Amino acid sequence: MNDLTLIRKSLFRKKTRAILLILSIMTAFLIFGALASIDRVLNSSEELSRADRLVTVNKINFTQTMPYAYWGRVGAVEGVQAVTHASWFGGYYQDIRNFVQAFAVDVDTYLEVYPELVMPADQRAALSERRDCVAVGADLAEQYGWAVGDRFPLSSNIWRQADGSSAWDVEVCAIMTIPDQELPTNYLLMQYDYYNEALAFNRDQIGWMILLTGDPANNDAVSERIDTLFANSPAETETTTEAAFSQAFVEQLGNIGLILSLVVGAAFATILMIVGTTMVMAINERTKEVGVMKTLGFSSSRIFTHVLSESVLLSLVGGLLGLGAAVLLLGGIAEVAGGQLPGLGVGRETWIQALGLMLAFGLLTGFVPAVNAMRLKIVEALGKD
Amino acid sequence: MISQISAVTSINLRSIPQRWGMSLATILSIALVVGVLLGFLAMANGFRATVSGTGSESIAVLLRSGSQAELNSGFGRDTVRLIETAPGVARDEDGAAILSAELYVITDATKRSTGNDASLSLRGVDDMAPRLRENFELVEGRMFAEGSNEIVVGEGVLREFSGFELNSTIRMGPNEWRVVGVFSTGGSVFDSEIWADIGTVQNLYQRGASYQSIRVQLDGETGLTELQDYAENEPRLDLDITTEKEFFAQSAGGLSNLIMYLGWPLAIIMAVGALAGAWNAMYASVDSRVREIATLRTLGFSGFAAFVGTLVESLLLAFIGGLVGALITYFVFDGVSASTMGGSFTQVVFSFAVTIQSVISGVVLALIVGLFGGFFPALRASRVPLLEVHG
Repeated sequence: MNDLTLIRKSLFRKKTRAILLILSIMTAFLIFGALASIDRVLNSSEELSRADRLVTVNKINFTQTMPYAYWGRVGAVEGVQAVTHASWFGGYYQDIRNFVQAFAVDVDTYLEVYPELVMPADQRAALSERRDCVAVGADLAEQYGWAVGDRFPLSSNIWRQADGSSAWDVEVCAIMTIPDQELPTNYLLMQYDYYNEALAFNRDQIGWMILLTGDPANNDAVSERIDTLFANSPAETETTTEAAFSQAFVEQLGNIGLILSLVVGAAFATILMIVGTTMVMAINERTKEVGVMKTLGFSSSRIFTHVLSESVLLSLVGGLLGLGAAVLLLGGIAEVAGGQLPGLGVGRETWIQALGLMLAFGLLTGFVPAVNAMRLKIVEALGKD
Repeated sequence: MISQISAVTSINLRSIPQRWGMSLATILSIALVVGVLLGFLAMANGFRATVSGTGSESIAVLLRSGSQAELNSGFGRDTVRLIETAPGVARDEDGAAILSAELYVITDATKRSTGNDASLSLRGVDDMAPRLRENFELVEGRMFAEGSNEIVVGEGVLREFSGFELNSTIRMGPNEWRVVGVFSTGGSVFDSEIWADIGTVQNLYQRGASYQSIRVQLDGETGLTELQDYAENEPRLDLDITTEKEFFAQSAGGLSNLIMYLGWPLAIIMAVGALAGAWNAMYASVDSRVREIATLRTLGFSGFAAFVGTLVESLLLAFIGGLVGALITYFVFDGVSASTMGGSFTQVVFSFAVTIQSVISGVVLALIVGLFGGFFPALRASRVPLLEVHG
């Protein structure tokens, strides 16, 4: 009988108890895996944004527009390699509840600034040919079952055409994908000219600009130049990195990171108490046995290691089962949500953190009983009734 | 029978201190589960109370049709004029319509908690606006003067955002504003807003003579349908008309439901973990008293009495845990001010509200944990093999 068998046997000497402990450790790691993934999805845009990509918005707030002429003026700013603009369309398809994330953009420069967006060459060519052509992200196309060649009216809950209609007739000319990355493609690009010429109000305004500086080291200088250019004008600007912009947006929801940490903390505190006290009790029950082992010549340090390994093994089994459950759960949610929650899953970083937590947790819960067992005197142990 | 049950139960309960470690762990773990559940429910309830509690049945909100939110809406002065003379709108003693045409702009302000910018609503209004908010009250200072760059701010803004103290000057975008008053609308969403003179806002934000919403006092119970009929048959009008209550109920649903849908599953998963703890604790309780239980059975006590005794012990631990969790949540979270992004991308300041219903839900969850955690150990207690134990 080697040490591992001994450890396994003592761990499962009371089956129900071991299973219950594993179950409770499992729940904590299930919560950890699921919440870490939610946190990651919320921050994914930051994680995957390009370091040299900046966003210029109206200084009052990103929902305020700015004049179309700004686009050309930013293009002439020193250090700007490429610049494009976009406007929020407030789109929906058929029913007002079928929200479509649609932007009115200048397609040529937009694809230059977002080189990760790819589409077949023939579709790319067709897109520039006609003004009513739109490019649809693969995730969005899947959600509404759109294919190249489909025509439909894209309605807006903000904008009106001069004739009173609030729908723009568009044709799907291209399907965009982002290869090699888990980035969502759940939006639609329509052409600014087609959108702008029909507008009843707010014509020749753009929502925001996105630009490349070529090197993150230039970011600060370029944003300062742009913001100075428009200082003291009716539409002052604020230029930040793409990452900072999306981070600020997520933070508006509240301190989600704090809430998630509190919940995970509560879950771990719960099982720490349960597993900790149970381990102490389990080793106490075995006092006599430990005495016998010591009599047989097991060294104190070997017994210490045994008890500690027992709690680490328990924690690893429970933790891995919990993360496994989280993978299944998130997979299920992603399936149900269609393309709406791309990138939902347990990431590599979460696995590494979880393994660290399992080890730490096992050592923590096993430490007190292990010390108790190590210090146990044979006479006392065997003398116990 | 009853005397047997009460005797066994009291022996069980009095033996709890002998296993205080396990018992305490059970109580605290259940308290944490209930705490998490109540924390989420307090957040959801607080947000919902602020947003949907805002609405009044006797006030109608008019937006351009299909726009859903004030931010997306927009119309000209001509629309306002038509509504001023429309049927269904209540009038004051001078015969003027009780109506407030407003403009809604989003501006950035610095949050106290994080030091980061977040979006706030800046509402351009005239002196009619307070009459169309129930419970409006000027807490400090005075209203802004017409045509000036003065603002009055809601209490929630003052609480959650920095720079809005009375008499201070604040820069928003290219413009400077002076805070001349603080108002309260009794904890509704308007407390998260900044109000300024509509003419000034139209000018500074280049909105010409445009408006985004009209609020009107409805004339009696038939006011709403009269107004809706009128708007439908008047080709120059293109409006969606709802009561204010309905308008806010629509915008409250999403977020508070999301919080609920997140809170309950989390609490239930944690409850499963705590269940394992309670179960273990009760097994330990039964194990340590096997001899005692066997002796009682030999003396003629029934297995059922042993069963009930153990189950009551478990339920009591769970109940204490649930109460402790509820109390802690109440003292830590109730009334805590927070803000989040509401409809229209702007911040809504709200207070956590621990309600009686949610406390009851929490205690019920705790008792369910106690029931399941105690059931099988209790079953075991009732079936202690007499001969083996004494043999």
